[in-house]
Amino acid sequence: MTWLAALDVNGLPQQLTNGIVVGAIYALIALGYTMVYGVLKLINFAHGEVFMIGCFISLFVSWSLGYTSSSIPTATNPSALMWMILASMLVCGLVGVFLERFAYRPMRGQPRINSLITAIGISLFLQYGLSLVFPISPPRTITEQVNPYWQNSVSVTLRAAPQELVNDRAKVVAELKTAVDAQNARMKELGIDSTFRLPEEDKYLVTTVRNLEAKERELGADVNKSETRITVPTGKMIMLVATLALMLLLRWVVMGTAVGRQMRAVSHDFDSASLMGIDVNFVVSMTFFIGSALAGAGGMMAATFQGVALTAFVGLEYGVKAFVAAVLGGIGNIPGAVLGGLLIGMLESIATAFGQSAYQNIVTFFILILVLIVKPAGLLGSAKAEKV
Amino acid sequence: MKPVLALDQATIQFGGLVAVNKVSFELEKGDLFGLIGPNGAGKTTCFNLITGVYQPTSGEIRFNGQSINKLPPYKIARLGIARTFQNIRLFTSLSALENVVVGGVLRTHVGLAQAALHLPHASRSTKKLRKEAMELLEVLDLADVAHWRSGDLPYGSQRRLEIARAMATQPELLLLDEPAAGMNPQESEDLMRTVRRIRDEFHKTVLLIEHDMKFVMNLCEKILVLDHGEEIARGGPADIRSNPKVIEAYLGEAV
Amino acid sequence: MNFWLVRILSIGAAVGFAWFLSVATVDAPTLLGPRLVALAGMYVTLAVSLNLINGITGQFSIGHAGFFQVGAYTAGILSGLYFKEGMNPMMWVGLMSIAGAITAGIAGLLVGVPSLRLRGDYLAIVTLGFGEIIRIFVTTQQDPLINGATGINVKPQHNAVFLSILLAIACIAVCRNLLQNAHGLPFLAIREDEVASNAMGVNTTKYKVIAFVIGSAFAGAAGALFAHTESFILPDLFKMELSFLILTMVVLGGNGSITGSVVAALVLFYLPEVLRGGEGQATMAFSGPMIVGFFVGLIALVAGIRHSQQRHMSSQAAKFGFLAFTMGAAVLVGVVVSLLAKASPNLSAAKYDVNQLRMVIFSITLVVVMLVRPQGLLGHREFGWGLFTRKSATSEVQA
Repeated sequence: MTWLAALDVNGLPQQLTNGIVVGAIYALIALGYTMVYGVLKLINFAHGEVFMIGCFISLFVSWSLGYTSSSIPTATNPSALMWMILASMLVCGLVGVFLERFAYRPMRGQPRINSLITAIGISLFLQYGLSLVFPISPPRTITEQVNPYWQNSVSVTLRAAPQELVNDRAKVVAELKTAVDAQNARMKELGIDSTFRLPEEDKYLVTTVRNLEAKERELGADVNKSETRITVPTGKMIMLVATLALMLLLRWVVMGTAVGRQMRAVSHDFDSASLMGIDVNFVVSMTFFIGSALAGAGGMMAATFQGVALTAFVGLEYGVKAFVAAVLGGIGNIPGAVLGGLLIGMLESIATAFGQSAYQNIVTFFILILVLIVKPAGLLGSAKAEKV
Repeated sequence: MKPVLALDQATIQFGGLVAVNKVSFELEKGDLFGLIGPNGAGKTTCFNLITGVYQPTSGEIRFNGQSINKLPPYKIARLGIARTFQNIRLFTSLSALENVVVGGVLRTHVGLAQAALHLPHASRSTKKLRKEAMELLEVLDLADVAHWRSGDLPYGSQRRLEIARAMATQPELLLLDEPAAGMNPQESEDLMRTVRRIRDEFHKTVLLIEHDMKFVMNLCEKILVLDHGEEIARGGPADIRSNPKVIEAYLGEAV
Repeated sequence: MNFWLVRILSIGAAVGFAWFLSVATVDAPTLLGPRLVALAGMYVTLAVSLNLINGITGQFSIGHAGFFQVGAYTAGILSGLYFKEGMNPMMWVGLMSIAGAITAGIAGLLVGVPSLRLRGDYLAIVTLGFGEIIRIFVTTQQDPLINGATGINVKPQHNAVFLSILLAIACIAVCRNLLQNAHGLPFLAIREDEVASNAMGVNTTKYKVIAFVIGSAFAGAAGALFAHTESFILPDLFKMELSFLILTMVVLGGNGSITGSVVAALVLFYLPEVLRGGEGQATMAFSGPMIVGFFVGLIALVAGIRHSQQRHMSSQAAKFGFLAFTMGAAVLVGVVVSLLAKASPNLSAAKYDVNQLRMVIFSITLVVVMLVRPQGLLGHREFGWGLFTRKSATSEVQA
């Protein structure tokens, strides 16, 4: 069990926070899976690809606004982010509606297996089709500078390092500065630009600097080990806030609007809802639009703030994890999708904390199978019995 | 003599709803027993309890003295209880003959390995099953549609086919769930005669659910009436016909 | 005729056919050469064995590549440990395929028992998950016998034409026997209605597990043959895409039809090879405009067929006429669009190799089949008659 010893307890809060950040993206995608399953009892295999399209749309928008790898506009501006997320959400929403209309609606009367097979076909088609247009290598990324706050971060210290240690370190830093100044002054005096050219009697200046540097590093590591601090890049904070806003918006739509009520009715009982005069086709299209738009938002965030390398196959990894999240929380259950997303995100980070990221994917699938076998309804779901 | 079937305070509860509440009755060998009651009374639920689809929350169900509470449906079928379904459940892509043959398979002793390797024992058994299935189809007047796709058969024929399939399992007790549903008077009459023949010639005990009162009164010798999961009356046809509680349950309270 | 005589003659014919192919392919052009014919046999086995689980028993397993991989790595590991230079390669490979069948069968048992009580789409996800777990697990194993993602060499290299054809025939025979026999009917009954099957005394769990185990065992045997024919295996060869490919073969041929699976497996396996042009010929390349034209034409075709399905046609002739018209119109639309697309320089410059298009073609096939004819080419029908024929009401009833 040597991997147990590799656990960095001090780093755990940071890892968990990272997990929540990543989990937010999974949650957004999982919401799409769960909403579609709720109304159509269909697992939309192609949902991961909608996420992928969201990533690429963000990339294109960032290009068209001038943020290519070779040229960066000097004035960086949060409006770029606004355009990117709006474009991604809109395009992905429309893609979702289009898919439903032409690929899934014709399959409605048939056994569910057929819809599942169609979804698999579409998923593969999108992956391989788009990989023709965007070759896998080199993968592209969105330029960091799109995010005007890319250099800032927010930090919370849970447990400070002992004051003594901090003072010692500050003292060494000050001594280091003095030593470096002395070294540079001497070099200027002699008119040389490299420490190699210093005459023998002045070499002590260099060694002093080196010793102080080493001491500073050591003390720095000690400080790190003894304090517990959570640092979140500002961009990711924005992402978390935006995700929260989207989820609250969703909750309002589902609980507070007429459309939302109709969506809940359809997911409860498809046939009765249509008999009650609900335009089921419209509700289903709406559901796909919202779910896909959320996935698009997730795509924009992953591409922009997580710096994901974009290939046509990026939807696979995120899609599968989000799907497991949806099942874990209870497929068809909206709060469940959010809970599942956060849990999967945190689980991933914990696995990394243990130094076992290679096994990450196995663990994810294992959870999936375990949930399906032990409690298929998931954490928050409720099982429905079949009438004989 | 031990009763063929005995329900002893059988109860099943789904969450807050008690679908069947302490129902007790016994069937002797050779009985033609009717289970009636308004819709939602719990009759099909009783069938599901007996055949192992549901497990009773309390109480016991005994078949020839042996408790069958915890047995899965296929084991109960092997013991000798066969049923038909309220909403017809035929193997629709298979032919009428194949449906009945499936019923007969459980009484054979042919391993799958023998079948997979097409050994002579398996072929002989197949021929025998086919012959016996044709005989059953004749009893139920379905011989001329033996090779039709069962999903294409008219409704009345499908109901009779379900009975033939159940008979193929060589049961001791036959449970029929609304066998006469959707039949015209002539068909019901024929079915009545067939069920009586099943009891007389094939020595089966029959428990049936029905809404067609004429069918029940003319065929069944003992009747149990359920309402809201509880027994409200039992007896012969004459007693039941004039029982005020039964009339009230079906037609509502007298004004 | 005497049962045993028929039996011996048919086994003899099968062996003879397999032997004939193994000899005939040696000097044949690449398309009919030993490697491709052996692989064709393996794919046929994979499709028919999946059909037993999905089409005949009505379950939904989409992780079949996992069992294929188990068989392949069993052969790889055992050969790495125990094969010595002097041994007869064909005997060894035959032995390996039995070993592969056993381990894959056990894997099928382990996967099947907990999962087979799950409903359709859930079962699909679980089987997919298991397939992936097997693949990822192999990737993480650093032991040189397995070598993780880098892969291992498998000795002896042997183009297992004889064994692979024999295996395919055996698989087809077993499935056929089960279907023709009354004692195989419970598999179909489970597909039609599980609740009713249970009520008729069929132990549905037992039958489902057996179907699973038989299907996975055959896949494992094929996997062992694959390992020796290709002589180099790595986890990447057994990705989800392979499972979906086999699924496409079963779906295209018709879920439940053994003949359909065989035909579809051969078509879907050979098509890319034929388009590849074989050795010595230039690879066929498709240009951007061609592809765009193809897709637009395909969309037009699907829309047309669905439209015709919804309209009531007065006679068979009218139906065929409309179908022919639709296809002609679709081709015309496709050609026109592709000519128009030539105007765009970017598009005209793009050229795609058949290899890159392979998965695109398969996925489109899957979607089109589902949209237009979900029962596949042959539906539930088989070549030839069985013990029971399935006629429908319409053939008997007079108007």
